[in-house]
Amino acid sequence: MRYERPDTMQAATALLAGAEAKSFVLAGGTDLLVRMQNDDFEADLIVDIKAISGMAKVTETDDGFVIGAGVPSVALFEDTALVAAWPGVVEAANLIGSTQIQGRCTIVGNLCNASPAADSVPALVAAGAVAQVAGPSGTRDVAVIDIPTGPGKTSLAKGEIIQAILLPKPNARTGDAYLRFIPRTEMDIAVVGVAVNLTLNEDGTVIAARVALGAVGPKVILVDTAAKAVIGSKLEDVVLQALSESCSAACTPINDKRGTVAFRTQVAGVLARRAAQTAYTRAGGK
Amino acid sequence: MMDKQMAYDIISFQLNGQLVQTELNAGERLSAALRDKMHSRDVKIGCDAGDCGACTVLIDGAPVCACLTPAHQANGREVETLSGLFLENQHAKNLADSFQNYGAAQCGICTPGMMVSAVALLNNNPTPNSDDVANALGGVLCRCTGYRAIIDAVIAAGTETSPYDAKGHTGAGIRRLDGLQKVNGTEQFGDDIAPSDALVIRVIRSPFHRACFHFGDLDAWAKGTPGIETVLTCVDVKGENCFGVIPPFADQPVFAEREARFRGEAVAAIVGLASSIENFDESGFPVVWEERPPSMTVFEAMERDAPLLHEHRVGNIMCGGFVSRGMPDATLNNSDATVEGHFSTSFVEHAYIEPEAGFALVKDGRVEVYACTQAPVMDLDELEKILGMQRADIRIVPTGIGGGFGSKLDISIQPYLAIAALKTGKPVRITYSRTESMQSTTKRHPAEMSVKIGASKNGKLTGMVFDGLFNTGAYASWGPTVSNRVPVHASGPYVLENYRAEAKGIHTNGPPSGAFRGFGVPQAAIAQESLFDELADKLDMDRLEFRLLNVLENNDETVCGQVFAQGVGIRACFEGLRPAWQTERKAAEVYNSKSKILRRGVGIAGGWYGCGNTSLPNPSTIKSGIRQDGTIVLHQGAMDIGQGANTAIAQIFATTLDVPVHQLELVGPDTDITPDAGKTSASRQTFVSGNAARLSAQALRKDIIKLVNAPQNAQIEIGQGEITISDGDIVHRIDLALLTPDADGFVLRAQETYDPPTKPLDENGQGEPYAQFGYAAHLVVVEVDTAMGTTRPIKFVAAHDVGHAVNPMLVKGQIHGGIAQGLGMALMEEYIPGQTENLHDYLIPTIGDIPPIETIIVEEPDAHGPFGAKGLGEHVLIPTAPALLNAIKDATGIRITNVPATPSRLRAAIRMHYKEQASG
Ligand SMILES: Cc1cc2nc3c(=O)[nH]c(=O)nc-3n(C[C@H](O)[C@H](O)[C@H](O)COP(=O)(O)OP(=O)(O)OC[C@H]3O[C@@H](n4cnc5c(N)ncnc54)[C@H](O)[C@@H]3O)c2cc1C
Ligand code: FES
Ligand code: FES
Repeated sequence: MRYERPDTMQAATALLAGAEAKSFVLAGGTDLLVRMQNDDFEADLIVDIKAISGMAKVTETDDGFVIGAGVPSVALFEDTALVAAWPGVVEAANLIGSTQIQGRCTIVGNLCNASPAADSVPALVAAGAVAQVAGPSGTRDVAVIDIPTGPGKTSLAKGEIIQAILLPKPNARTGDAYLRFIPRTEMDIAVVGVAVNLTLNEDGTVIAARVALGAVGPKVILVDTAAKAVIGSKLEDVVLQALSESCSAACTPINDKRGTVAFRTQVAGVLARRAAQTAYTRAGGK
Repeated sequence: MMDKQMAYDIISFQLNGQLVQTELNAGERLSAALRDKMHSRDVKIGCDAGDCGACTVLIDGAPVCACLTPAHQANGREVETLSGLFLENQHAKNLADSFQNYGAAQCGICTPGMMVSAVALLNNNPTPNSDDVANALGGVLCRCTGYRAIIDAVIAAGTETSPYDAKGHTGAGIRRLDGLQKVNGTEQFGDDIAPSDALVIRVIRSPFHRACFHFGDLDAWAKGTPGIETVLTCVDVKGENCFGVIPPFADQPVFAEREARFRGEAVAAIVGLASSIENFDESGFPVVWEERPPSMTVFEAMERDAPLLHEHRVGNIMCGGFVSRGMPDATLNNSDATVEGHFSTSFVEHAYIEPEAGFALVKDGRVEVYACTQAPVMDLDELEKILGMQRADIRIVPTGIGGGFGSKLDISIQPYLAIAALKTGKPVRITYSRTESMQSTTKRHPAEMSVKIGASKNGKLTGMVFDGLFNTGAYASWGPTVSNRVPVHASGPYVLENYRAEAKGIHTNGPPSGAFRGFGVPQAAIAQESLFDELADKLDMDRLEFRLLNVLENNDETVCGQVFAQGVGIRACFEGLRPAWQTERKAAEVYNSKSKILRRGVGIAGGWYGCGNTSLPNPSTIKSGIRQDGTIVLHQGAMDIGQGANTAIAQIFATTLDVPVHQLELVGPDTDITPDAGKTSASRQTFVSGNAARLSAQALRKDIIKLVNAPQNAQIEIGQGEITISDGDIVHRIDLALLTPDADGFVLRAQETYDPPTKPLDENGQGEPYAQFGYAAHLVVVEVDTAMGTTRPIKFVAAHDVGHAVNPMLVKGQIHGGIAQGLGMALMEEYIPGQTENLHDYLIPTIGDIPPIETIIVEEPDAHGPFGAKGLGEHVLIPTAPALLNAIKDATGIRITNVPATPSRLRAAIRMHYKEQASG
């Protein structure tokens, strides 16, 4: 196995594009190093992208935020502008593992690991985030929701690396929130995760909404029916009920020891209701 | 499998302020590089997967798991570990003090991760609140302390001076005498002692719950595989290939011979160079498996055509225990009120943060085994049999132990170490991976319990019948003890004139169930204390007052017919809870009147526990002496597994001799030099070894006083090279230089044994099983989110009768730690072979799960205990789980009878309940 630490993105994509057998990008390593211990793990090349300059920065631009692929999640909640703009995304990143994990892990790694339970992914999807993908023949932008294609699988082609995540500048009166369910207080994989992003008009009516679910299907789910249910409302009880039901209806979870199908489906509805209320308050609704 | 061809790189970084340089393998972890190449063995490995946080180090000031950090990424950066911080960082120094003052380090294996994380927090926020601390330390697991002492210690760091007690006699909550090494990173655990060039052992285990197997050509394989020195199998076991903690039931092979009876059972071991073992590909090992259908539950194993795990154990019944008095069936039939229920519990994993590890070598023809253990002399007994060697040719030297809780009473790595060292003639080491540790070592017995209890209209208990099946897994281990203890304890600390309890240990193809804090009693308490609440409700009585009406008092007969004239403290425990019971119930009622989805409830439960072996001899011996220079030496053979035996036993000794405890020099339980103080189990060390220490000190004191013919109450002072004895105005001096030292260098010595008085149980379980019982009662307030089925404990109040608190700080530490384990058992812990074999999938409580705990220490002196002291180590978790289940019932109206009460399970029960309510 070869281990490379290139210092440019070009070199990194070239290494990957030229690799003959299995190769992996390494960011924080919190997923990869655990997998590398499995007896059936195979790799010929590991490309560590942390030495590439500019990878470890969050930049605020006119259009929003550019989060480099090397930024550990601990750095996200130290960025006050980002916290003010996308509190839900930051709280999701803040839920990954523990302080000791967050010092290492990246949201891009969380996305590319393509676990259905990845915490930051529903929040990024609800926020309408875009992945900036570098490849041997240049860069392209891909909506975050289109990156994972199933458990452990992504749409990235050979030689491609996500260079950054782009978060738009939120419209006025916008708020987002992420809630997840785990059986203990911290340090566990989401049994259900729900992200809600709402924009209100001046009188507090929801005019735009995005609701995304994690851990209840093979990949993150953007629930249009749930968004439709809340648009035009002020989150009255019946609306919350409809939101909750449409989220439950969108779930296609598996049974495992962390939660049964019935449990996950029902909890998705409960969390959607609670996350929507938080997002609504954050957007300035009363 | 990783490609074996490795690329090497050289990196350099600052380690604790010094520039270091090292060669790395591709993908090497920082934790491994620090421990193996830089001897930073203060960085601990508990899981190698980011789950436990024991490996936390600072990189450029930020806390990270070293086990998930590619060592390459440390290049050019600054890495700090506990030992460096302890010397240079003021916060670390303050933390080292307050961790000792608060007892925040018990076994100490989590302490480096805790302290390094806390330093990072304090560097940014010197005045954190408890939420800040919980956030910062949330990724570091501790299995001993229950976290509250850690939170308190971090908040107090740098703000308090240490409470120093000049004498440190019993009753004083002094710091642990062995505390410093736990907070400065120098404590040596099982994996910290081997020389780095020792050969490494790796065990080959069954991937199936049950399978036959045969080997290919092992010799050829070993010869043809670079770096492999030898392969061990059952043919290398020169003595008996059979061990077990209770000799008449010994049934476990060191290496399985034809059939593996549980997943993770050892069939062979390879021994080789560290680098070869590290990259060993198990798929190339010449073994062929033939899977067989397993019996995983007691019900499957008891079916008529179920295959027998051990031929001579008909029906897969290992053994049973029985206690009977009065006429329980008749009285239950005639009782005003009866309740009954069936309760099930799961395998529970001990989940100490230190996986089994050790090192062995052959020296002058003797084999020396250095390993973490709870019972060094029992290890010696087992090795004598397994190795077929003279006892005198085996030496067991216990290392620091990073938690045990019962599982490290059984041997695990010891035979592999000894056999490999003898076969190769070279130093060898072994460290279990987290998964190996979980798969192959003992568990708490899953129980299936059917129980019926009755009472009269006025609330007096009339009778009880208990029937329990305990899944003892593939091998006996401590199963017989569980079967015996449960019937004696299943009544709880209450008067029951009509009682029958039977417990059977049943073999299955699960992991061997053994000792885990309480030997089956916590499971039985779940059934009994749950049903007590049901019975009180049925009688429309207050649940606390109902218990008080039935508690054992001095001079009452227990269900075994045993009578204690003093020291029965359960009434005082429950009465201690009464104020909280009343205010918390009112508060919950007020809360619930305004809240529909979040419901609060209050639960209580009691418990008792007999200290020491059940009706069996159980001696401890303590040797002590004085050297010519005036040093007082205490051979403290009672393994300190974090509970604090080194401190408590020394306090008892110092109090009796009447010298300051800090003047003692402690010698540990090395089997070559320290007599047997028995195993650290059954809550016996403070009681039994404490008494032996008291007798040893008494004898020493007598001898000193005899030398000058002073009266027994004379004051003694042991100084440099002399002893001064003052009898009022008369002062005698003994010049120690004039006395002749013996082979140990002692000029005065004493060695005393204590064995608690018990009487055998007859065929109805009547007799005197224990010389003393300890008593406990817990109260807990919970908040249940009925929409999601989550239970959040908000507060515990724990009352414990310890007879005499030898060291109140250590007492609190045991109570907190026990509550955390009881909480885990009640709410989240469920070991499923093949599914939850790591700390990612097997959840234990984290720092955020444990609410504040108020402790009430009751001291009803015991007739036999040293200074009246009773054991405590296991009592602490017996009431916790039933108190939680009772609180859930109080909050929601739902009785959970199948633990753990996971959110999924509780939510499903809530749904059913509301459906039934709606349709009914
Ligand atoms: C103890 C523990 C607790 C955890 N808890 C949680 C949790 O609560 N919630 C949660 O969601 N996750 C959790 N995780 C999983 C993990 O921490 C996250 O998925 C993390 O965000 C991964 O980031 P990383 O930088 O460490 O990824 P890495 O391990 O470096 O990489 C992960 C995967 O992504 C690929 N990759 C990384 N960067 C790129 C890139 N720029 N372009 C293309 N591919 C790339 C890698 O090849 C690899 O396959 C936990 C992990 C551990 C060990
Ligand atoms: S050893 Fe690193 S987290 Fe457990
Ligand atoms: S003191 Fe924390 S694990 Fe033992």
